Amino acid sequence: MDLTIPDLGEVQEVTFLRWLKGEGEAVEVGEAVAEVEADKAVFVIEAPAAGILQGLCAQEGQRLPPGAKIGEIRPE
Amino acid sequence: MRRCLVLRLGRVPYGPVLAFQRTLHTKRRAQTFPDVVLSLEHEPVITLGRDGSARDLLVPWEELRKRGVEVFEVERGGGATYHGPGQLVLYPILDLRALGIGLREYVWRLEEVMIRTGRAFGAELFRRPGQPGAWHARGKVGFLGVHVRGWVTLHGLAFNVDLNPHGFAWIVPCGVPGLPVVSLQDLVDQELSFAAVEDAALRAFAEVFGVEVVELSGAEVRAWLSPSGLG
Repeated sequence: MDLTIPDLGEVQEVTFLRWLKGEGEAVEVGEAVAEVEADKAVFVIEAPAAGILQGLCAQEGQRLPPGAKIGEIRPE
Repeated sequence: MRRCLVLRLGRVPYGPVLAFQRTLHTKRRAQTFPDVVLSLEHEPVITLGRDGSARDLLVPWEELRKRGVEVFEVERGGGATYHGPGQLVLYPILDLRALGIGLREYVWRLEEVMIRTGRAFGAELFRRPGQPGAWHARGKVGFLGVHVRGWVTLHGLAFNVDLNPHGFAWIVPCGVPGLPVVSLQDLVDQELSFAAVEDAALRAFAEVFGVEVVELSGAEVRAWLSPSGLG
């Protein structure tokens, strides 16, 4: 399953702040995996499915639109 | 009309309130607590949001501690800021999905609460594109920094009622060296009481968010704050 920047509501772009989990790590549904920021609001991206994180491609400080793919979750 | 609890905590140190709002945030996300706003002022404290770092401290961390000023790194958006007596702080812990609003609308509403509070006392405050907050021609009056997880909010807004701005000289506020900071009291002729501004801000909050605010009494607040009330 793709991990993407969520639609935060009228936000055109977010700044990627940091990964809270690393490449190859296992995550549960709802676990916090990354933080992004827009308009002085930090938004926590939670895992939409359980599995292994892979292909994490978002970099700190990168500007990304909603829907942008930032990685994948591979079922264990 | 939706209801929102209000807890007036008075003047409180930062650490216990941070722990308290995190507890309420977890309970709100689990749908075991309703929407709530904490209303308070802090003892002198510097906080560093996700965009801030120790580089934003112009006085060494240890020196600040010696002066009795605590420093906290927290999960909100934005850089370094200063809180102290005479600044009204509102921490809304709201489920944005239940309110039917997104992140941008939430930030807009926090700004609107501060703008309306200023207007209630005759001060004309405004937004600046790309610089969230409430501004006056003479400087920044209202600040915001938010954290959202599971669409539930944490942290919130800080509005200078009559704040000694010396604390802002210890930091690079919001990443802007020399940011002009003013209080509502500097902008109006009448003598302001903190309680009157707090009342106006909570009225503005109710209007802007379309909620009925339900105040908890001192005894109820103490019950919530007791170890058995909120673990």
